Amino acid sequence: MSATIAAPATSEHAQEHAHHKPHWFFHYFWSYDHKMIGLQYFWTSLFFLFIGGGLALGVRYQLGFPGAQIPIIGQFLPSTLAVDGSFVPGGYNMLVTMHATFMVFLVVMPMLIGAFGNYLIPLQIGAGDMAFPLLNELSYWLYALSGIILTTAFFVPGGAPASGWTAYAPLSAVAAYNQTAMGQSLWCIGIFINGLSSIAGASNYITTIVNMRAPGMRMFRMPLTVWSLFITAILLVLAVPVLSAAGAMLFFDLNFHTNFFVPIRDGIATGGQPLLWQHLFWFFGHPEVYIMILPAMGLVSEVLAVFARKPIFGYKAMVYAMVAIGFLGFIVWGHHMFVSGMNLTLSAVFSLTTMIIAVPSAIKTFNWLGTVWRGSIEFTPPMCFALAFVSMFVIGGLSGIFMASTPVDLFIHHTYFIVAHIHYVLFGGSIFAVFAAIYFWFPKMFGRMLNDKLGYIHFFLTFIFFNLTFFPMHNLGLGGMMRRIADPTLYEHLKQLQPLNQISTIGAFGLGLTLIPFFWNVIVSLRSGKKAPANPWHANTLEWTIPSPPGHGNFPKTPVVHHGPYEYSVPGMDKDYLPQTEVAPAGAQLDAH
Amino acid sequence: MSTVALDSHDTQHHGAPPATCKFGMIIFLISEAMLFAGLIAGYIVLRGAHPGDWPPAGYPDIQVQWPLTTMNIVMIVNSIILIGSSFTYHFAEAAVSKGKSGILWLIATLILGSIFLSVQGWEWVHLKHEGLWWDQGLIYGSCFFAITGFHGMHVFVGLLLILWILLKQTFTGCFTPQRHAAMANVGLYWHFVDAVWIVVYTSLYVI
Repeated sequence: MSATIAAPATSEHAQEHAHHKPHWFFHYFWSYDHKMIGLQYFWTSLFFLFIGGGLALGVRYQLGFPGAQIPIIGQFLPSTLAVDGSFVPGGYNMLVTMHATFMVFLVVMPMLIGAFGNYLIPLQIGAGDMAFPLLNELSYWLYALSGIILTTAFFVPGGAPASGWTAYAPLSAVAAYNQTAMGQSLWCIGIFINGLSSIAGASNYITTIVNMRAPGMRMFRMPLTVWSLFITAILLVLAVPVLSAAGAMLFFDLNFHTNFFVPIRDGIATGGQPLLWQHLFWFFGHPEVYIMILPAMGLVSEVLAVFARKPIFGYKAMVYAMVAIGFLGFIVWGHHMFVSGMNLTLSAVFSLTTMIIAVPSAIKTFNWLGTVWRGSIEFTPPMCFALAFVSMFVIGGLSGIFMASTPVDLFIHHTYFIVAHIHYVLFGGSIFAVFAAIYFWFPKMFGRMLNDKLGYIHFFLTFIFFNLTFFPMHNLGLGGMMRRIADPTLYEHLKQLQPLNQISTIGAFGLGLTLIPFFWNVIVSLRSGKKAPANPWHANTLEWTIPSPPGHGNFPKTPVVHHGPYEYSVPGMDKDYLPQTEVAPAGAQLDAH
Repeated sequence: MSTVALDSHDTQHHGAPPATCKFGMIIFLISEAMLFAGLIAGYIVLRGAHPGDWPPAGYPDIQVQWPLTTMNIVMIVNSIILIGSSFTYHFAEAAVSKGKSGILWLIATLILGSIFLSVQGWEWVHLKHEGLWWDQGLIYGSCFFAITGFHGMHVFVGLLLILWILLKQTFTGCFTPQRHAAMANVGLYWHFVDAVWIVVYTSLYVI
């Protein structure tokens, strides 16, 4: 964008509006303020984290102790899930399906993109709000609606969908096969509405970032968080509609007896292609993987630079690496389908493109190391989570290279090795970044500091139990344990591995319990935490130049940006940080302009 | 690359400036294009992998052939009507930029769009009588009705938007040479829906 529009600083105007307080309903439930919408996303996705986590515990309980009685809640579960107080195999499939669906669509995406995207984008680019505030609130309510619809699926006749979050056809597309026509239909509707929410949000983010930056906030002066959300939003706009189309086709197959993914109906060959579902799903699904990790990378970059008191190593390389990851994300989807019977020459191409992704990913990893290298590191709770993110992401990234190679993937694809990999990037990656971000931005969002001691307890327990839960899955997978089985003890070759399954289950319950110190910390700090100053971490980005929490309209006066966001420990300066709104003193040697 | 700063607090109370709205609309339409890309890519794959004749033997053929059948002529005229409605909408915008009301052109657009949608509905009924429906006619029926159905829904939404523009202009006259961002954005959407029809028509009726 090259047009320049003069920005009249309208401080009186902003204050005039700050005075009239809206009705509580419009304040909490139908607000046009991006900060309140961010908080709506924040609390809603934490709520769904509980449900999604509970489903995961059900999965682990069944795998560690197949057929055991479920204490306390066993009696109350719907009969599609559990009979006589223990899980039934079909119910296990529902748990797996809904755990993944909830975590992807109702927890990780809305938390990273909805909550932090909404809260941080206008603040970090120096805008008063998003470009389209009404659309923003609509996108939240569409998300909430999709959450309600997906949750309802548990209570309809037949129960929740049980065909995996990938909903592979023809299992998902024929009611006679899956026995959950209504649940699966609700899944399609929920995913479609969730997609509308994503597209509305993403269009808003892109427009805001391109059009509403404060004077002096050039693209290459934007914090990496904003860059990562910008690229993520572009991926959302291009990838999500394809899932919507596929979901609609699946819905038609189930309810109107179309034949997109159903090769044979009533004994007649229809020409439908189950493989088409996989292509459409993964054309969305692989960019989706980066949609869930790129914002995490952006948030963590911010935390690492602040607590290493050093500029980001290779800021521009970090941006280009994210652009490269985003682009490559669209041409690698076939690596999810090596075992599908796809053409082998095509597999080789997808193998190659997938391995190329290792290059930008490695650039990011080494740049994070370069950022903390020789820094004056402060091991605050957010920094601990950020460093854990980098190390866990490396483990998940390295196991990803195994799968990129077709011959190796053929052996491990249907095993727990894949489950270990996905959780190292999605939990060890995205969720650790979410926690880093919560500890880092909580003071700005709520005006109170979180308790450090509880933060450390939360961090160390999470780190230990996370590895206890998911590391054994590598061994389980290489030992031949298949995915999507409800009872590993039924298989002779898996009996000797059962102790590993039990260790993993114990780890999972420990991981569930770590949420207690976290929530205790949040509740206590909200009520009686130390009051947060405007800039508790001595950080540079724009949100730290205004009070915590920022008032309606954000900036009393439109900020003017003078340099990049990562000027820490600038040679020739007394203090070790330089907010973006401050002009560098004479003699200071800036890292970038 | 210089920076554009808007008084963003204002957007909260008075709406974003026209250029920003247009930008947002274009991003949304890119996403809409991906929706149709998914559907049409699916159609290409399914049709390419389908053994035997296309359309499958025993089902009505909608494709353009020489000499033209009555159905061919109807659908060609119908396509011209829809594309014509893009022009009438454009003339409505041009009229508004010159300070006129543009109401007649908007009504013309509504009429043309409604004719298109009605003929489309008539074609659906006709094909149903001939034995082609979404659950009959194998993958051929599924694709035809899903793609034209999705497009028809978009036309329907477009007609509602144009009706809204027409009512606003008739009763408040709020679109002036200086201010007609909403009208311009509905126009973008309408032109997009017409452009999609050209792709849909080409892939379903011509190739």
